[in-house]
Amino acid sequence: MKITRRDFLKKTATGVALAGVSAGLPVNVFANEKTIKIGMNIPMTGDYAPWGLPGLYGCEIIANDINAAGGVRIGNTDYKIEMISFDHAYDTEKTIQGYKKLVLEDGVKMVMMLGGSTVSSILPWAQRKKMLTTTLLPSDITPKSEYLIATCESHPLYNVTGVEWLAENFPDAKTAVIVTNNDVEWGLQSASTYKAAFEVAGIKVVDVNLHGFDVTDFAPIVSSVLAKKPDIFCMATSFYTTPLMEQLYHQGFKGKIISCTLDYYNEVIAKTSKEFVNGTIFQFPDFNDPALLQEGIHFPDPNGFDAKFRKDHPNDWSAVAWEYPAILLNWIEGAKAAGSIEPTEVLKTLKSNKKPNFVFGGGRWWGSKLWGLDNAIVGRWPVVVIEDGKARIKEFRSLTGWLDKNSDVLIKHMKALGLHTV
Amino acid sequence: MELILQSIINGLIQGGFFALFAVGLVLIFGVMGVVNFAHGELVMVGAYTVWLLHAQNGIPFIPVILIAIILVTVIGLLMERFLFRPTCNDPLAGLICSIGILFILQVLATVVGGDGPSKQVPPPYQGTLILFDFLRVPYQRVFSFFVSAAGLGTLWYFLTRTKLGWALRAVALDREASALQGININRISMIAIGVGGALAGLAGALMAPLTNINPHMGHNVIITAFIVTIVGGVGSLSGAVIAAVIYALFHTFITVYFGGVIATICGLLLMVVVLIIKPTGIMGVRVSE
Amino acid sequence: MKIIIRLLKIIAVIIFLAGLIVLPHYLKFHYQDLLIFLTVNVLVVASYRIVTLTGEWSLIHAVMMGVGAYTAALLFKNFNLAIWFTLPLAGGMAGLIAALLSFPLFRMTQFYFLIGSFAAGEAIRLTWMQFIVPFGGSGGLSGIEPPMIGSIDFMDPIPYYYLALGVVSACLFILYRIEKSRIGLTLHAVHWKAPLAQSVGVDTWRYRALAFIIGSFFVGIAGALKIHYLGTITPNQFGIGFMVFILIWVIVGGYNTIFGPVIGVVVLTIFDESVRGFGELRPAIYGGVLIISILFLPLGLESIYTKFLTLCGIGGNSSDGPPP
Repeated sequence: MKITRRDFLKKTATGVALAGVSAGLPVNVFANEKTIKIGMNIPMTGDYAPWGLPGLYGCEIIANDINAAGGVRIGNTDYKIEMISFDHAYDTEKTIQGYKKLVLEDGVKMVMMLGGSTVSSILPWAQRKKMLTTTLLPSDITPKSEYLIATCESHPLYNVTGVEWLAENFPDAKTAVIVTNNDVEWGLQSASTYKAAFEVAGIKVVDVNLHGFDVTDFAPIVSSVLAKKPDIFCMATSFYTTPLMEQLYHQGFKGKIISCTLDYYNEVIAKTSKEFVNGTIFQFPDFNDPALLQEGIHFPDPNGFDAKFRKDHPNDWSAVAWEYPAILLNWIEGAKAAGSIEPTEVLKTLKSNKKPNFVFGGGRWWGSKLWGLDNAIVGRWPVVVIEDGKARIKEFRSLTGWLDKNSDVLIKHMKALGLHTV
Repeated sequence: MELILQSIINGLIQGGFFALFAVGLVLIFGVMGVVNFAHGELVMVGAYTVWLLHAQNGIPFIPVILIAIILVTVIGLLMERFLFRPTCNDPLAGLICSIGILFILQVLATVVGGDGPSKQVPPPYQGTLILFDFLRVPYQRVFSFFVSAAGLGTLWYFLTRTKLGWALRAVALDREASALQGININRISMIAIGVGGALAGLAGALMAPLTNINPHMGHNVIITAFIVTIVGGVGSLSGAVIAAVIYALFHTFITVYFGGVIATICGLLLMVVVLIIKPTGIMGVRVSE
Repeated sequence: MKIIIRLLKIIAVIIFLAGLIVLPHYLKFHYQDLLIFLTVNVLVVASYRIVTLTGEWSLIHAVMMGVGAYTAALLFKNFNLAIWFTLPLAGGMAGLIAALLSFPLFRMTQFYFLIGSFAAGEAIRLTWMQFIVPFGGSGGLSGIEPPMIGSIDFMDPIPYYYLALGVVSACLFILYRIEKSRIGLTLHAVHWKAPLAQSVGVDTWRYRALAFIIGSFFVGIAGALKIHYLGTITPNQFGIGFMVFILIWVIVGGYNTIFGPVIGVVVLTIFDESVRGFGELRPAIYGGVLIISILFLPLGLESIYTKFLTLCGIGGNSSDGPPP
């Protein structure tokens, strides 16, 4: 069973590293054209690489398409788009270094980041330099982080949609367990959200296991939680979905499995079986899904994008492959509307739009209840289920709807785990 | 009750692995007096070998295990010849050299396997053994347990029933006296590190289908090996095996009831306590000066 | 002849100091940052040297730096204390923890002490990771800011560099004086002639502990100094990775005098920057340097300087090595 995606990721990542990543990877620089530089301060190597590098690939595809069509017109000028990346490998010191370089030396107009402690570390700089910064985690927003926005992904909030769908379609599932890593920005945020969602859906959480990153043997953890005989096994935003699924398979779990991401599900199928993996619920679609051709989806030619991506980077598709591009597109629309590429202007224009563009439609600015500023766009989010070995969107559910009714429950659970809220 | 029994089984199987790495470390320290900080990386090389040859290129599992053992043994021998022998008078220097190797091996792993998420090796033995209706042990783990036990058994036989084995034990007990008896210390050192390397390679190969394979996996191995070595007694091989099983059970149970990080903290504290109360550990007799 | 040598030495020192003061103005932002971290690391290695004076090599030094850093971070975030207060308090806390740990740790020697100090350090680090309140867990804490005095914003690299330079210079001076004082001499005695020292009534345990506490105090200050500039603290910054760098700097630089480790950290940091383009291969290059150093230059880089002096016929009396 050849797993070539890893090969590919490794080759490109090594090539990138050896080419001197900090020098940046310019895309389509045209000497006489005016160029907008967009910075990406992301992990391109290391454990978090799958949530950074594929995003760069996606953005390059988008940028190439735009440049080939003559660029984008903002105000009275045509611009080409240039992506400049910096690999911080999820190290705080490197992140700060990269941010300063992108802003002070490269002169970017926006910095896209993954999120988490790496974003917290650059917030003072973002504020001082008034640099528009984006993240995939609204939980990074603080009352003072005006320049930080989350315009596409709204982790961990959208996880509630999966639970809602599960509860509606499988009313007999009454108990759940949660197993995930115990880091603040991913595992705990996600766990608290799932707990809130389960509570609202009337499902009882009978056990929660938050483990460290040094676990190599998931057998005891899985045995321990399965002893409580749950109907639902929730992996929240675990980095270890593959070994966990393996354990569930070996230990004969027959209930429903729900997770935030299920990257590389083909590998999971290889290690277990298609029958076992069918029915797993998560939140990230493949972009060749016909459901994305519906009305209200705000992404140009998703099936075409998917095809181009898989052609150039056959085994690198991950949850973030389309998210950074979506943020880029969102920025471009904001710049067009503002008639300017300056961060302060674009930010103002984006925020003033009461119905901002959102990938899956129904977008609204949200967040002050939880984090002090309405700097995250929430809208509809897809619920994805594995069917016949493929990820298929079952439904788009309204996140705003759930939040309007239940944000107090969410705040309660977040506080219980020591997470910061206002 | 079922959980307790399941945890005991899980713990014993883990104990098999812990024993393999700890015994290797003790052998190297006992005979050569040097702390091999790169021991975790030797295990990692074993695991990567299985990933590269078996998972990526389809070579059958059992031959790949043998290849892993041979490869790691060779690395160990090279380390002895070029690093530990020249620095044999200064154990600190030897330790520092092993740290250098640690880095080099980690980078090698990154280059071979690429960065990114941990690698996974699909288990060659699928399916689960079910005992008494509720105890579940995947066949892969059953296999690993028996092979570890066989490996340790072979080592025991070697050390107690062969002349070479006795020579090894003699050098571990008293280097100078052994040299006076005509035992070739260099040769014995090579054998010690060769065996230690072989055990590490075996451990890595067995662990490969059961764990996350990445360039940093050696970190936990070395911590575990240290804890087990200290608790078992630095000079003692049987102590290492006993301590390995005890510690594995201890760690498994605490993980189940309190979580993995707490289990490791407790393990480290346990080690400090042993160092304070009985530095020679459970079975150790020699306190090195 | 001797007077001329002396004069040359003084002029060299003055040029060197002047250079240090003017340096940041000629560097790009990125390198200014590195200069600040280099200055902090100089204090880290100098403080480690005091610990090793008694012949015990600990693996807990990096974690002690973390103790200082976390103390400063928590004091700043919870009580809004300015850097002038957090620095000494950070050092004090590190020293206190070191004092407490002396009791269990110094019952062991050599190998056991090494492993024991490693275990204690890991346990502390894992505690930071495990408890979100108050340490922030694996994500750590952020928003630790340096002060503004009038219009000088210490968040800018150049003012902060001078701040760091001043603090580190003062600390180095103190460390140097300690080493040359009676205490320093006793530490040497404990290292090389422990039984003899004991026979004249020196409590070796006490002196080992003292060296450990002093070293920890200063590295705690270094930790606070770093964190006020960086602004964010995570447990991984102080793990075995960083500890290994400290060891490398000290060993490659040499630890015969207080200048050895400093030479080590400066040369290796510059070297490290120059191989930045190799990305993933860097740790391997470091590993290689380490091995070559140990095998071929066991007394460190500073021994090159000593050999050079001997070659010129100028014997130094800075040799603190083993007595004949």
